[in-house]
Amino acid sequence: MLPPLIRLENIHKAFDDAPVLRGVDVDVPESCIYALIGMGAVGKSVLLKIVAGLIAPEKGRVFIHDEDITEMGHLELAEVRKKIGMLFQNYALFDKNVYENIAFPLRRLFDLSEEEIQERVAERLARVALPGTEERIPQSMSGGQKKRIGVARATIAKPPIVLYDEPTAGLDPVTSQKIYDLVREEQRATGATVMVISSDVAGVLTIADRVGMLHDGKLVFDGTADEARKSTIPEVRQFVHGLTEGPL
Amino acid sequence: MSAAPAKTPFWLLLPAKIGAAILVMAKQVGGLSILAGKILRRLTPGQIDRHELFRNMNRMGVRSVPIIAATAAFTGGIMVIQAAPFVEQVQATSFVGWAATFTTIRELGPLLIGLIFNGRVGANNTAELGTMKVTDQIDALRALAIDPIAYLVVPRCLAMVSMMVLLCVIGDAIAIGGAMLTADMLLDVDPRVFWASAVERLEPWDFWVGLIKSGLFGIMIALTSCYYGLQTKGGAPGVGRSVNASVVAAAAGIFIMDYFSTFILD
Amino acid sequence: MTVRSKDVGLFEAAINVLKDFRAVWRVFTKTLYYLFRGKREKGEIARQMFHVGNESLFFMCITMAFIGAIITFQTGLQSKKLLPDFSLMGATYLKLLVRDLAASVGALPLATRVGAGIAAEIGSMVVTDQVDALRMCAADPIDYLVVPRFIACVIMGTVILVIGGFVAYGAGMLVAFVSFDVNPHTFNNLMYLNLGDLVLGFLKCLVYGAAIAIVSAQRGLATFGGSEGVGWATTEAVVGSCFAIIVLNLIISTVGYFLVPGVGPM
Repeated sequence: MLPPLIRLENIHKAFDDAPVLRGVDVDVPESCIYALIGMGAVGKSVLLKIVAGLIAPEKGRVFIHDEDITEMGHLELAEVRKKIGMLFQNYALFDKNVYENIAFPLRRLFDLSEEEIQERVAERLARVALPGTEERIPQSMSGGQKKRIGVARATIAKPPIVLYDEPTAGLDPVTSQKIYDLVREEQRATGATVMVISSDVAGVLTIADRVGMLHDGKLVFDGTADEARKSTIPEVRQFVHGLTEGPL
Repeated sequence: MSAAPAKTPFWLLLPAKIGAAILVMAKQVGGLSILAGKILRRLTPGQIDRHELFRNMNRMGVRSVPIIAATAAFTGGIMVIQAAPFVEQVQATSFVGWAATFTTIRELGPLLIGLIFNGRVGANNTAELGTMKVTDQIDALRALAIDPIAYLVVPRCLAMVSMMVLLCVIGDAIAIGGAMLTADMLLDVDPRVFWASAVERLEPWDFWVGLIKSGLFGIMIALTSCYYGLQTKGGAPGVGRSVNASVVAAAAGIFIMDYFSTFILD
Repeated sequence: MTVRSKDVGLFEAAINVLKDFRAVWRVFTKTLYYLFRGKREKGEIARQMFHVGNESLFFMCITMAFIGAIITFQTGLQSKKLLPDFSLMGATYLKLLVRDLAASVGALPLATRVGAGIAAEIGSMVVTDQVDALRMCAADPIDYLVVPRFIACVIMGTVILVIGGFVAYGAGMLVAFVSFDVNPHTFNNLMYLNLGDLVLGFLKCLVYGAAIAIVSAQRGLATFGGSEGVGWATTEAVVGSCFAIIVLNLIISTVGYFLVPGVGPM
């Protein structure tokens, strides 16, 4: 088995003295879709931002490609981040039109001609099923459309690691499934390593290779999607099957 | 605000802009006066929420003391440093005490403390009321038959005006201390000489002018920040916009009011 | 910062000031780094310069006119009591204006206007995750957001403060003529002005512009807690910039007093 591409060791993080993460260990193998599930406000987004180097953990280490990013200065971190694409929960699209939003990472990372950029943006927009929307302003678009533009922006530079923070929150089931399919097809096409956060377990299990469940500041489950469905750990059983009776 | 319609010829752009600005100002002055009237009508002692009043006084006044003290101390020093070349030239060391205290009490103290108070307390007040407005909390108060002006605005205004005057007294004292120290170090003016010169020439009226001015600035900041807070529209970005507009309007108001009060309170 | 929710003593307040200073210093050094090494966005600096100038010019002209009028009036009142000789009033005023007041007093309303705008803009980008998104798109927020604003503030801030200085001078001349019968020809006296004053005044403009940009940007980047947090960041940006201006003024003025002293022509 390949060594894990992303490795979190004993991560601790507290906000205003309230501990959120209390010793989390996660291994994400290369070219795998890793779904991180758990109740709201359990620290999933924080964990994802720690992987991206946006938040520093109080204790613990984060390895990406065997490099410890918790020790890095901001210039080294910027280099690591070039390998990571990220979709934010609230889209985090800039006050620019769709074209400029998606082209932004390309402009910052490479010295491409305008034609090449146009070509790649058009390819991305076709991929996320929003062709011809280059001139529109994201603020005027629907939630699902904004998510898909976010996906396009996160993947345009072909990063080997892609992080999705709640790609389907607030969307209807049909649109959600389309986004999950998009995430899956993207991953299959590029072989990238993907981490997805979701509170929509049923949806995310349809695409995940591995699942981790975060509860009470710890990773209480780590295994394949099938193992998650069959798990006898009370928290996992209750959460995966959406039961009202249980420890949660 | 689209001040000028698209077809305005360019030579009319400036007058059109000025005219639009005047219209906006007139609207704001009108709104402020109406708010002031509403507050005055509710100023009977029985109606004021004591708890709200004291809470706001502590929050707005007591916690502003460190920043006001630091600003005042530095300003006192700067004042003397700037005057030093002139003092040395005309050998007017016996006037330093009077000049520094006079300037501080009548002009610099109220003006500077007003500006800092505006930035710290006024802006925060607008942000708070604005957030309450865009999250419908003010309508919720109305639905509970609580008058938002009496419950929210009146205690805040009273706290701001009284705290502004008190902070001004504290700030003046510290600024004069800073000036005294700097004069001693830089110009070899003995603190006793400094003090004697101030006591000899200052008049009670000078203190009153300072107090009246700080009170006026307090009213100005209180009214403006509440008005802009209650006018907030357009969600979270709207709060940012009204904070910005409120701070700027109150700062301009302070300077304009300072000019006229200097003139009238000669 | 943690200051907002807790009651802090003087000692803790001092610690917090040191922490804030360190945070601001870090933003400053990073800005300098990216100033030379960063990736320029075409037209961004020009856009920011237009923004800074456009939003503050009208406001600054009005404010500086009143400031000029107040200073002359107050000086006139003071000198009336000492020695009623107004022949050197203009020369003294001009020297003080160039050496200190135009920059230092004008920088306070400028900080209110421009600083609040910068902090609100960057702050709302922070709370909507856009700043993190920038980091993930290989655009360091310091490089992409702060550097253009820094350059714009230094250049346009200086331009606006110089314009404001002229306005204040004109207003002072007018008040001297109307209130104290000082002939504009007498008032317009360059006798006391020397090169050192010009250098000092100009240096202050540059430094204040830089300070406003850096302090406000740092406050904006440190925003947390939704739209209310943006309101707080705005407040802290205005107060922090004003405080920075006053401290820097004290430093520059003290150094200036020893290095470029003296009254009269060089």
